[in-house]
Amino acid sequence: MDFFVAQALNGLIIGLLYALIAIGLSLIFSVLKLVNFAHGECCMMGAFVSYYFSTLFGINPLIAVFLSMVVVFLLGVAMQYFFLRPLYTGAVERKDEYAILITFGLGIFFQNLAMSLFGPWTKKSQDFLSGVTSIGFLTVDNNRLVVSFVAIAIVLALLLIINKTFVGKALRAVSQDRDAAAIVGINSHRINMLAFGVGVALAGGAGALIGPIFLISPMMGILPGIKSFVIIVLGGMGSIKGAIIGSLLLGEIESLGSIYLLDPTRGLAYKNAFGVLLLAIVLLVKPTGLFGERHVRME
Amino acid sequence: MKTFLTFMGVIGLVVCIGGSLGWSQDQVILGGVAPLSAPGAAESGAEMKIAMEMAVSEIGQILGKPIKLQVEDTRGLPEEGTAAMNRLADAGAAGVVGEFHSAVANAEIEVANQRKLPLIIAEAWADVITAKHYPYVFRIAPANSLFYTKVSDWVKAIGAQNVVAIVENTDWGLGIDTVFKETLHDQKNIDGDPVQYTSIVAERTVTDFTPQLLRYKSMSPRPDLVMDIFTGTGEYLIVKQTGELGLAPNRETLVFAVGTSALYPEYWETVGKYGVFSITKTGYHPLLGVTPAIKKFNAEFEAKTGKTPTFAAMEAYDSIHVLAQAIEQAGSTASDAIVAALEKIKYDGVLGTIYFSADKKPDYMYHQWPGAKAVIIQYTAEGQKYTDAELLWPAALMP
Repeated sequence: MDFFVAQALNGLIIGLLYALIAIGLSLIFSVLKLVNFAHGECCMMGAFVSYYFSTLFGINPLIAVFLSMVVVFLLGVAMQYFFLRPLYTGAVERKDEYAILITFGLGIFFQNLAMSLFGPWTKKSQDFLSGVTSIGFLTVDNNRLVVSFVAIAIVLALLLIINKTFVGKALRAVSQDRDAAAIVGINSHRINMLAFGVGVALAGGAGALIGPIFLISPMMGILPGIKSFVIIVLGGMGSIKGAIIGSLLLGEIESLGSIYLLDPTRGLAYKNAFGVLLLAIVLLVKPTGLFGERHVRME
Repeated sequence: MKTFLTFMGVIGLVVCIGGSLGWSQDQVILGGVAPLSAPGAAESGAEMKIAMEMAVSEIGQILGKPIKLQVEDTRGLPEEGTAAMNRLADAGAAGVVGEFHSAVANAEIEVANQRKLPLIIAEAWADVITAKHYPYVFRIAPANSLFYTKVSDWVKAIGAQNVVAIVENTDWGLGIDTVFKETLHDQKNIDGDPVQYTSIVAERTVTDFTPQLLRYKSMSPRPDLVMDIFTGTGEYLIVKQTGELGLAPNRETLVFAVGTSALYPEYWETVGKYGVFSITKTGYHPLLGVTPAIKKFNAEFEAKTGKTPTFAAMEAYDSIHVLAQAIEQAGSTASDAIVAALEKIKYDGVLGTIYFSADKKPDYMYHQWPGAKAVIIQYTAEGQKYTDAELLWPAALMP
């Protein structure tokens, strides 16, 4: 039983990290109706920005996380303005194909840019809180505990903004009906920019938070990018609630699955496949994902 | 107009072919393959490239012609290795040296064999690389079986009974796992007790090893030794997470970082205090003997980079010298002549006198340098250079 609880706790912590990345992707999809294939690279950029803020300027690593979110937010706003805005001004004919190609292209560009700027070497961000916490049979790295609490706080703050503020109402309005939102005076271009900026800032924050735990390198965003895509399809495209539940599910199934489902000596070899397997099963039963809507394409 | 265009086309073709032939006749192209970016072990690839450049600059000319070194980034991916070898063959390379990852080397030897391109593997250890008996493939690095049987001897000598491992699912990792299963599992240790060897295979991109490490931690009795059979980021993460969970290193359990990544300064940046008392291996250590050649190489490398070179750099450096000497002895850049010269070569390099075995038993010994050495060391302080770490094995070399 002790062993099971330890594994479940690890799955919960990993799930919270996934949630932070996946919510951003889901927010972008719900408002802009496109999948940001450069999302993992935004996560990587956040990790590097936070790393250099804390190592070069001696800024407290937790403050560096929030500063990195601001930097990645501005990067996202620029990406949206220069590369994605044409999708909503009628300048692009084949919108889906353009969105896929441009975000893929930006992802590859950021990987190579990071390689040139930061080098290919693995780095570790400063600890948020060094040491471990032991409660009975459980031993948890303090960084993981701090990251879990920060992730929960960020997710709650985001939910509060989306559900209780005017900006949140505007985001939801554009996500539901762009034309109707425009009729009541909402500037959908600004909301697009805001949603994209906030979405990638969440990914950047997640990257900065995982820096002391899973280390950072220019290619670190590839796997989180893929996993967050799996999560938002699993949870239902564009559903924030679905992204949170999907993330926690994936974290648990990876942690428990690699121990209990298969031959444990091969479990880690299939760890990344569990998410896809879970996704396939859910989509067979519920094609729109756990909390997805039927109509989610760009108009 | 048509005649004019045809005439211009012919002129262009003649200029291109003539230029290309002239270019290749005026210089000797030596190829290099190494992981220069992630997901490959980029720190190793970078120092291998520098060492190759140092060797080329020392040699200056081959057969009276200048040398062009063309180093390709294989990124630790087999498909990139295949593409790199084909590019080097197309460029007219006389031979190729390098590579760090066994999985990539395994792909590269196929191209070497198909395109008759001599290839000297500098730092990839999987037995299969030389066990295929390809005539164009040679190796300076030790084969897994040559070294890891000695690691098994050490494990038995320290009286370990319960050894666990996390293994990356590559030719290199699985090859070591096989050696341990054959030479360690159910064998008797120095006290006459049976050794239990348990391994878990993991995909190379995995970053969270906690579930399996928790499983090892819950074992009764606790493991004596955790083998971290990974390279690059994964190798760092296993040591770090093993320490965070309180599994090792401590009085009960040691951790052995098997990959070369544990020899770089990045090891300390990423694992910090959890690296103290961790164990690793190296193909060079001052206690193996500091020859004038090593002194000169180390001094030049450190002056150039500010870093202490590892044996991966030394192997890459020696590989270029061996290839250059073989071309000189062959008196031509024809591949069969170079292979014949390599089979007879004796080169006094940084790592020793290099020659290649013609034995086909055991399988991996064909075109393998039998003199390749490696030792087991243990870090005793945070941030320690590997050259200052304590030597654990072989006992005969201990001061």
